[in-house]
Amino acid sequence: MSEHETDPKKLPALGRMLLWVDKPGSANKIFWALAVVCGLLFLADFTYEKHSYFDIEHLPGFYGIYGFVMFTGLILAAKGLRVLIKRNEDFYGDKAVDSEDYPEAGLEKVDHDV
Amino acid sequence: MMFDQIPTAFLFFAGAIALLGLPQGRMRSALLLIVPIIAAWQVWGLQVGSTYTVPFFDFELDLIRVDKLSRIFGLIFCLAAFLGNLFAWHLRDTVQQVAALLYAGSAIGAVFAGDLITLFFYWEGTAIASVFLIWARRTEGAFHTGMRYLIIQIASGVILLAGVALYYRDTGSIAFESMTLGSIGTWLIFLSFGIKAAFPLLHNWLQDSYPAATITGTVILSAFTTKLAIYALARGFAGTEILIYIGVVMTLFPIFFAEIENDLRRVLAYSLNNQLGFMVVGIGIGTEMAINGTASHAFAHILYKALLFMSVGAVMFRTGTSKASELGGLYRTMPKTAMFCLVGAASISAFPLFSGFVTKSIILDEAASGHMYIVWLALVFASAGVLSHSGIKIPFFMFFAHDSGLRPKEPPTHMLLAMGITAALCIAIGVYPAPLYALLPYPVDFTPYTTGHVIGQLQLLLFALFAFAILMRTGIHPPEIRAVNLDTDWSYRWLLPRIIRKVASLVAAIWNGILAFLDTRLKNIISGLYHSHGPEGRMARVWPTGAMVIWISVLLGATLIVSFFE
Repeated sequence: MSEHETDPKKLPALGRMLLWVDKPGSANKIFWALAVVCGLLFLADFTYEKHSYFDIEHLPGFYGIYGFVMFTGLILAAKGLRVLIKRNEDFYGDKAVDSEDYPEAGLEKVDHDV
Repeated sequence: MMFDQIPTAFLFFAGAIALLGLPQGRMRSALLLIVPIIAAWQVWGLQVGSTYTVPFFDFELDLIRVDKLSRIFGLIFCLAAFLGNLFAWHLRDTVQQVAALLYAGSAIGAVFAGDLITLFFYWEGTAIASVFLIWARRTEGAFHTGMRYLIIQIASGVILLAGVALYYRDTGSIAFESMTLGSIGTWLIFLSFGIKAAFPLLHNWLQDSYPAATITGTVILSAFTTKLAIYALARGFAGTEILIYIGVVMTLFPIFFAEIENDLRRVLAYSLNNQLGFMVVGIGIGTEMAINGTASHAFAHILYKALLFMSVGAVMFRTGTSKASELGGLYRTMPKTAMFCLVGAASISAFPLFSGFVTKSIILDEAASGHMYIVWLALVFASAGVLSHSGIKIPFFMFFAHDSGLRPKEPPTHMLLAMGITAALCIAIGVYPAPLYALLPYPVDFTPYTTGHVIGQLQLLLFALFAFAILMRTGIHPPEIRAVNLDTDWSYRWLLPRIIRKVASLVAAIWNGILAFLDTRLKNIISGLYHSHGPEGRMARVWPTGAMVIWISVLLGATLIVSFFE
């Protein structure tokens, strides 16, 4: 993506700091950091006494496991749903805004370097 | 008339009239900010229990009914109007400015309405005023979308009026108080509220219209109509069991659609629908704490939803698009907007220390303490679903993910300010919920920050985030592509017109067939007669040959008689 390269010095300070996320290897670091945090949260379940309404909440890491499984299920189900209901952007023609551009009069497109 | 006897709605209407007297420019933008501030100050000072009635034919209309439930909704509506108008400071469009004031005023008027007739007037007022925020986009598509929106909103009002009439016949009262489902009247009122609250299968107007409004219009639209319906349900149908199940379905089905939607403003509309579901469940449970949960969640929700719509709007303002497939990597040049968006995302996902956490957990806790096992499991699942589209998808595909190459500048200062204030409020409520809890309709007995709550919620969210990371790394996560997805509005946007067209062409064919049949019959009769009786016809052949002579003699005879008498 060399044509996208912008001189980092021209970016706002906050944006420059965030550039770290696009450095090679950063995505890996974030991934493994997340894995470690999840592991710690799982272990945290053994450190306090649970006051809960349902028995299943006493299962160590119940919320984590439930979140992980259901989230994955959700994405897979949505992916399946897309096969059924995906249509071209102009499916509803000129009766919908999906295939039309937002009127320029309502915009103020300004690039950062300008 | 004392200041606190002026219905708050009238302040907005007076503001709309005053607006027309001012020249277009900063004076107007300032007025648009001053009106909600004055209104909020007035609402803040309203005494609980005060009323203001006016006679209307044989009825007494109650224009100001103040209790803690109406006051918290009145306050958040004033705040939303202020933030929305601040975000729209740059706007020089009289139509949208007037519409914003009339719309906010109508919503606030409806909240303070003590009787069903007043409610009806303001109910329709919100419908008519708000459609101009869609039409103000001034495109063909927006015009048609606005029409669909208007038809459904007006229908909701008409159904409400029918319900009120029947309710009045049954009970002899027009007071807007708690009702029990049973008679046709109450069911119609319930249905009317349900349309505006975007119940499942009545929801499509929301996802259809909000992405079609103007950039600033969507921010304003997101606050009022649906939350007015939530207020009306909480007032009229608290503790109605069916609402629990309706609410659960509402929290679940939109998360699947939001996940694969490309237009981020439509993703937010689905997400809004899902959040309404939590509130509807709270109303259905109907205990004092559950109503507290609904009211507080509506309060927090209006703020973080406005913040999310603002951040997508800001990106749209600079790039011209809100489609995830066209965006990405904008954090480089719009880092402040990205941060505000992340605050909104964390709030809606209910991360601890953000507003959603201290409000949504009240509703979940009430479901659990009521031992509604399935309901509770569904709501926890829906909470993970919120994270997937509003928590991850909105910020990730807009500001991070692949680099779109776009390098837009941060939005203008007033937009950053509006987002900054809203983000600050989202964090403030999450960190220190006591002032919000004090505003709630009933005394609050709830501690959001227990070890169990915090660790449970963090587990749910971070494990889900981890699942997202794995799905992205393995390429299983569905990519963002330019497309539209069918929802049940397909039935009236695609199927119904085609059925009507087919029926119309069938009716036309039958009609033309009948006409053609009659036409040929008539022609056949005429030509048959001509054939038999015409000059060349068979019948003509048997005419006596002396016929002409007879007629001539008759004529001569007549002439003779006439001349004889002269």
